[in-house]
Amino acid sequence: MTILDATVPTAQTGMPVRSPMVRFLGRSGAFWRLLARGAVMLMFTLGIYRFWLTTDIRRYLWSSTEVAEESFEYTGTARELLLGFLIAIAVLVPLYSAFFLLTLTLGQIWSVLSIAALTFLGQYAVFRARRYRLTRTVYRGVRFHQTGSAWRYSVYAVLWWMLILLSLGIAYPFAQSQLERFKMRNTFFGSLAGRFDGSGWHLFVRGLVLWALAVVPFAIGAVATILAIDWNTLISAAPGDDKASWLENSGLAGAVVFAALTGLWLLLSFAVLYPAFQTMVLRWWVSGLRFGDIAVDSRLRMSQVFGVYARFLGYALVFTFVVSVALMIGALALAAVSRPLDASYKEIVTTLLVLGAYVASALGYSTIYQATVKLGLWRCVVETLDISNTAVLEHVTAAGEPASPVGEGLADALNVGGI
Amino acid sequence: MNAPEMGISPVAARGIFFDGRTAARQEVAVELASAALRLRADDGTILAEWGYDELETLSAPDDVLRLGRAGNPSLARLEVKDPQLAAAIDERSAPVDRTGRIERRLRDKVIFWSVAATLSLVLVAVLGVPLLATALTPLVPYPLERKLGAAVASQARASLDNKRTGSAFECGNTENEHAGRAAFDKLLAQIEAAASLPWPLTVMIVRRPEANAITFPGGHIFVFEGLIKNADTPDELAGVLAHEVGHVAHHDGTRTVIQGAGLSLLFGVLLGDFVGGGAVILAAKTILRTSYSREVEAAADTYGVTLIARTGGDPRALGTILLRIAGTTHPGPKILADHPDTRDRVAAIEATATATPGARRALLDQTQWAALKAVCSRV
Repeated sequence: MTILDATVPTAQTGMPVRSPMVRFLGRSGAFWRLLARGAVMLMFTLGIYRFWLTTDIRRYLWSSTEVAEESFEYTGTARELLLGFLIAIAVLVPLYSAFFLLTLTLGQIWSVLSIAALTFLGQYAVFRARRYRLTRTVYRGVRFHQTGSAWRYSVYAVLWWMLILLSLGIAYPFAQSQLERFKMRNTFFGSLAGRFDGSGWHLFVRGLVLWALAVVPFAIGAVATILAIDWNTLISAAPGDDKASWLENSGLAGAVVFAALTGLWLLLSFAVLYPAFQTMVLRWWVSGLRFGDIAVDSRLRMSQVFGVYARFLGYALVFTFVVSVALMIGALALAAVSRPLDASYKEIVTTLLVLGAYVASALGYSTIYQATVKLGLWRCVVETLDISNTAVLEHVTAAGEPASPVGEGLADALNVGGI
Repeated sequence: MNAPEMGISPVAARGIFFDGRTAARQEVAVELASAALRLRADDGTILAEWGYDELETLSAPDDVLRLGRAGNPSLARLEVKDPQLAAAIDERSAPVDRTGRIERRLRDKVIFWSVAATLSLVLVAVLGVPLLATALTPLVPYPLERKLGAAVASQARASLDNKRTGSAFECGNTENEHAGRAAFDKLLAQIEAAASLPWPLTVMIVRRPEANAITFPGGHIFVFEGLIKNADTPDELAGVLAHEVGHVAHHDGTRTVIQGAGLSLLFGVLLGDFVGGGAVILAAKTILRTSYSREVEAAADTYGVTLIARTGGDPRALGTILLRIAGTTHPGPKILADHPDTRDRVAAIEATATATPGARRALLDQTQWAALKAVCSRV
């Protein structure tokens, strides 16, 4: 309670100042600079620079996060990430080729099997990547580490996600609590074992209203859409028939209205409900984390998360405006310059320019997203943390070895990466 | 606490030390000895002595200098918040990088070499991949090429068949269309006989309005309804068919697939798709297609013209229909009527046709041609 109200002390001197247990020290200007330079470098290196950018981002976030007056340290290097990626390529290229050839010679069933195999491999990578990140996280001269089988986690995770899909999201809280339990049970800070105390039922009860608001109107809309269509008329209608009467008789027109309304509701509810959902899940997750006697509690408020997204929207709108103006000027200039050119050169130049604009704006939005949403959420979560029993830290002994970066590489190649 | 020894500089201040064995926090006195940093506990015991050359700067908040011992498996850390002490250590130790200057120089190297790697990848994509694809294409065994073609064709079908027209995607299957398909097969048989390819063609007439034809690997061809509608004589249709047979004979479809796979591998897998959507691959494919298709199309034109001449058809008809449908889609780049490419192509076709004289005969009679024109009439 007092921690929240306490003004953040400025300069730290030798005297112990009463400061919050958990603080975020980073300046957002530095993070913006890091991301902007990274975006430019990504563009010129067609993405090779991402290993260095990822490492920079993690170093910034880790070292800006302070618990009990000590900041975290990220000891991973870009070179390790590059190595992990190369290992992943060595594993995946033959695998992809094998699946391609099998699909070609033995039929479509293999493409389904390959998707299934890559899904499992993706979850395997998620767990291994977590192990890499934990073993590269050092706090007070002691590293974190993670035990447990990544394949078991992968089977667990895929089964739970299937259950989530089949239950239209009802299983989500239980899946999250079980998967988080699995992860935290295998997580250690030196000799101090972690665990997860969050209850799936808690999240379920809290999330029920949100679920009802999002899924029930969607289900009603979908059912209304299906009912509005007279399927017999639709199927029996001769293709040569007058299109207007066919539309009318089959009820397609009404169905389109229902479908549009459902879509609109989905979009609106997503914009409004998602930050609320995220607040709820983040708070529940953080408050369930335990390391030995150390307990964590989150005071994250919904308004903070909405604020984060509002900032993102503001920046994105300004950026969109700037990009549109630049595109218009560019198009006019291109039309003026390229008139005398050969048509195939014109196509090449246009393709390159369109691609450049696309890449630049994609990187721009991603930079804005990372600087506002990713950093904003991290900061909010950190600044609303309460930690108790940190005295235990004095007695933690070191344990665990640095793990290989292969999980990071696989996660990168399969596009399932985290932070 | 203790008298300064010989060789110890006057700078001595406080730091925080973690010994790497436990997470216990220890306040220590930091002494700058002549060759090493000496960390002393309050009771006077020496906790660590790190040579200046072994020091390593570690990532930390802005106002903290966090030091470790390079190559040390233990994670012992010294944290210095006093800026004067930090400056003094930096001064004595070469590897300590308080301002990040060393890190920046290393980073510049990384940037330079990644840009160099990117450039060489782009060069390989533009120059190497087409050469490699040309070299690999003849090595693909026919059954595989055939299967590859079937797979690509079924994918193309999925994107072309919008199923809304309510009738079959393929023309020539209904009672009314059988005669048209028979006439088409007669035309095709003459071309196939003259071409004497070592493998059969699989030609499908598809219900699409564009004046177009697509050749896939292994002799799979789609002829669009719009092309048949636009053809005025059997020879014009035969001309386009012969051109497509040229693509089959030259394995152009297979080469394109190999090229695409090579580019996907190069940019998609090696670089990782950093903005999603395979944008780089798409661009590379467009550029390659634009710059290489001219030769490929010209070769298929020459092949087609000589082939038609051998069947006894009018070799100039390909040029006539090209001029008519110019401006609509065609395999390869879009061609506009006033575009030099089309005019050049037609001129080249004329030249080849003049150089290959031959006896003329009608490829189809009037009734057969009328039936063929109605091959997509449905019912």
